Amino acid sequence: MGTIGQHLLNGMMQGTIYGLVAMGFTIFFGVMNVIKFSHGDVLTVGAFAALVAVWATSALGMPVYVQFIAAFIAAMILTAVVGAGISHFLIMPLRNAPPLNMLLMTMMVGTLLREAIRLFFPNGTNPQRFPELLPAGGFSLGRSFFRFDALILIVAGVASIGVVYWIINRTKFGLAMRAVAEDVETARTMGINFARVIPLTFALGSLTAGFAGTIYGLYYSEINYGMGLLLAVIGFTAAIVGGLGNIWGAIIGGYLFAGLQTLVVAAMPSMSDYKNVFAFVLIIVLITWRPTGLLAERGSERV
Amino acid sequence: MTAPALLESRGLTVRFGGLLALNALDIDVRHGEVLGLIGPNGSGKTTFLNVISGVYSASAGSIRLDGADITTASAQHLSASGLARTFQRSRLCLPLSVFDNIVLGAQKRLNSGLWHNLIQRKALAAEVRAIAAEARELLYVFNPTLADKLYDPAISLGMIDRRRVEICRALIGKPKLVLLDEPSAGMTHDETDQVVDEILGIRKSLGGLTIIIVEHEMGLIERVTDRCVVLNYGKKICEGKFRDVASDPVVREAYLGQS
Amino acid sequence: MSALPSHKPARVWPLIVAVAFAAASLTTLVLIENQKLLGLTLAGIAALCFAAARFGGVAATEAAASENPWLLRGLVLIAAMAVLFVLRDDNFGLLMVATVLIYATVCIGLTIQMGYTGLTNFAAAAFVGTGGYTAAMLGQKGGLPDIVVLISGGLIAVFIGSLLILPVLRTRGHYAALTTLAFGVMFTVFLDANELLGGPQGLKIPGINLFGWDFSDDLHIAGYTFSFYVNYVILTGAVTALTMVLTGLLDRSWIGVWLDVVRLDETAASVFGLKVGRWKVLAFTLGNFLAGLMGAIYAKMTGFIAPSNFTFGDSLVMVSIVILGGIGNRWGVLPAALIVVLLPEKLQFIQEYRLLLYALVVIVILVVQPDGLVARRVRTLRMEARS
Repeated sequence: MGTIGQHLLNGMMQGTIYGLVAMGFTIFFGVMNVIKFSHGDVLTVGAFAALVAVWATSALGMPVYVQFIAAFIAAMILTAVVGAGISHFLIMPLRNAPPLNMLLMTMMVGTLLREAIRLFFPNGTNPQRFPELLPAGGFSLGRSFFRFDALILIVAGVASIGVVYWIINRTKFGLAMRAVAEDVETARTMGINFARVIPLTFALGSLTAGFAGTIYGLYYSEINYGMGLLLAVIGFTAAIVGGLGNIWGAIIGGYLFAGLQTLVVAAMPSMSDYKNVFAFVLIIVLITWRPTGLLAERGSERV
Repeated sequence: MTAPALLESRGLTVRFGGLLALNALDIDVRHGEVLGLIGPNGSGKTTFLNVISGVYSASAGSIRLDGADITTASAQHLSASGLARTFQRSRLCLPLSVFDNIVLGAQKRLNSGLWHNLIQRKALAAEVRAIAAEARELLYVFNPTLADKLYDPAISLGMIDRRRVEICRALIGKPKLVLLDEPSAGMTHDETDQVVDEILGIRKSLGGLTIIIVEHEMGLIERVTDRCVVLNYGKKICEGKFRDVASDPVVREAYLGQS
Repeated sequence: MSALPSHKPARVWPLIVAVAFAAASLTTLVLIENQKLLGLTLAGIAALCFAAARFGGVAATEAAASENPWLLRGLVLIAAMAVLFVLRDDNFGLLMVATVLIYATVCIGLTIQMGYTGLTNFAAAAFVGTGGYTAAMLGQKGGLPDIVVLISGGLIAVFIGSLLILPVLRTRGHYAALTTLAFGVMFTVFLDANELLGGPQGLKIPGINLFGWDFSDDLHIAGYTFSFYVNYVILTGAVTALTMVLTGLLDRSWIGVWLDVVRLDETAASVFGLKVGRWKVLAFTLGNFLAGLMGAIYAKMTGFIAPSNFTFGDSLVMVSIVILGGIGNRWGVLPAALIVVLLPEKLQFIQEYRLLLYALVVIVILVVQPDGLVARRVRTLRMEARS
């Protein structure tokens, strides 16, 4: 087995998923100063939506590439709607409440989504097999073997990160978003429709989670109702390590976390059950050492 | 010539990223004076208060309080060495009672030990009664009816009473130097006048309290200050009695905003 | 200064009625088997509580309680003995009462952390589990007296908590949320993988023996036989009562004010000289000690623990109890713990849906009634000299 290539690819894949999740956290925090813990469970919702879309399209006898596209579209639409809904009905009404209430709220929204999938999705308690839609096989390079599907998914993931970055930095909507993030009052006087930008921002952030969820299903061929929780914890960690509110930091944090995990697995295969535990310990040490993250956190307090 | 200043800043500089919020400030505050700090929006007045009260840290320069270097001192240390302040936007703990809020100002005089607080309840009760009496007395000077609201939640008070409570919180710790950050913010003209009279009254009764006051309301500045420092873009552009400062062409230009 | 309280008998009655009512409600809820009857009883109790709040009964009770703290304590003791007598041979009922008391005590600790100090702790169940596993491991070694074992449970939880709070003290922000969340989620992952700690199958633990008082023996008092679970109810009840008293004293002291200020405005707190970190550490330590201690008692009581007892979901259940009771309202924790622990046991159809249900209830409370179901009262630190 070409282990180095395997580890590298695995780490890249995980890093891409973590980076996508962390990016969502950082977008929400940047714009609303909110930690949205339900983000990981929104990702799960996306993965299950993708699964249903694949089931439906394959039942209709559509070709594989249509199934593939349908999976992404269904996941992204549903997560965007769910994200916008959560922001409009649950987060906005609480935006002046103590931060603890907001944390609890999003935590409980996540639990609600998670439990709803477990209880109401057919056979939801058990892991669901996610159909393999990408070409099997791959190629060897030296002693390493590279899976085609992994390469495709990594490219897709990195491209989506690029697209989100482009939206935030190069479009009019992105400008409005950044204005609101900077100062709500000023943004208002500049004629930015606050009530529209916020749900759209949450839709954008959540849609990246839907995208990541679909990638997750395609790569690991299995999804379950609880997968979002761990991804949320990891994504949140990555966002903090990168400095909350900082997009590049979040992406770097995601790859860093995946790198640490992969390192643990590669160096100590017998300890691979503890890979998350180890990664967290390292991250906590890292935060203790550099409290504001590797790249600076956005200052949020005004005195 | 003059006695050494209570507070002196030398070359005090604060940078936020690329923004120079305070640019090499030399400011002296003399014992017992009321110093007005004025200047256009964003000129660095509140930043100055935040640096000396330890909320921000200085990028360069030094600050001395009563001869001791406090440039890098923590907010806790500054409070212990006799500094107290109010905030531009009211920072009372609204769900707590007026008493709980005021007591925070006296924190350093109170016994916070576990044994004292949980077991020696008699001694604690005596301490509570003593502080409550002091707080009542202080509130009474401001507004006699406020003294009866000692155990009302701060959220039930109007803007002017909240400001009074904030000032009481700053004064109950018997500070050497009080920083007032826009005491008129959010109040009407008449209310402002009222509070100013009360501050002056308190100052008289406490005898020679030193105050730095940041304010936009020029009437207030004229009435209460002994001396003014004018800031613009983080720099001191003028210093002196309000009347002289107000007629200074450089200051006028800064306020008209054309530079 | 207001007048010193005079002794009016009328003022004492509401307190006696309230304690009797609470004891009767508790006993009835534990005893009822029929699901419809349980629903009716709950509705009746809720209606009575509502009426009492509406017509000043609650206020009268509170006034009486704060004026006569020793009367309250005596009444609670008498009521507790009455409840124990009625339930004396109901093993399941007694186990449930002890479990409610354990949850309640952990949640009082959580109230000190979250309600008073504003420190998020999403790992309450993991701290309980830390205490439980400590008790199990020390029990396997043997030789240590159980009082040491139980207290070690609390101390080890404090130790682990102190590692987690390190980054929290270096700066303000969301690190408490992150580290406790990670610990809460990772705890079961770690246990599942660890063979030494029994893996997913868990560990067996012998019962408590405190200074020769063997908790596995039935009690015989005046010709009546009490199930051995009574021992555990007495122990947990005593710990809960002590915790309530101490937390009350803490709340009505300078420390109580400082903790509140740390929660509400860290900047103001430090500008006026409070050592914010010190108070956070105190609150975190107290809460985690209670969690660890109760975890050790829980492990010894049930005789068996496994990772599935201490999942992240359980931590969320504990947070739900704190919110149901009214954030920062330590009295509210008691009925909230009763409802949250008892209902799924009694109403089997709820069991499966309980997390979903709690999540929904908490969301509704946070939107509609942000202070929690029964808001905490404004502290009045008056302390006039008592005659």
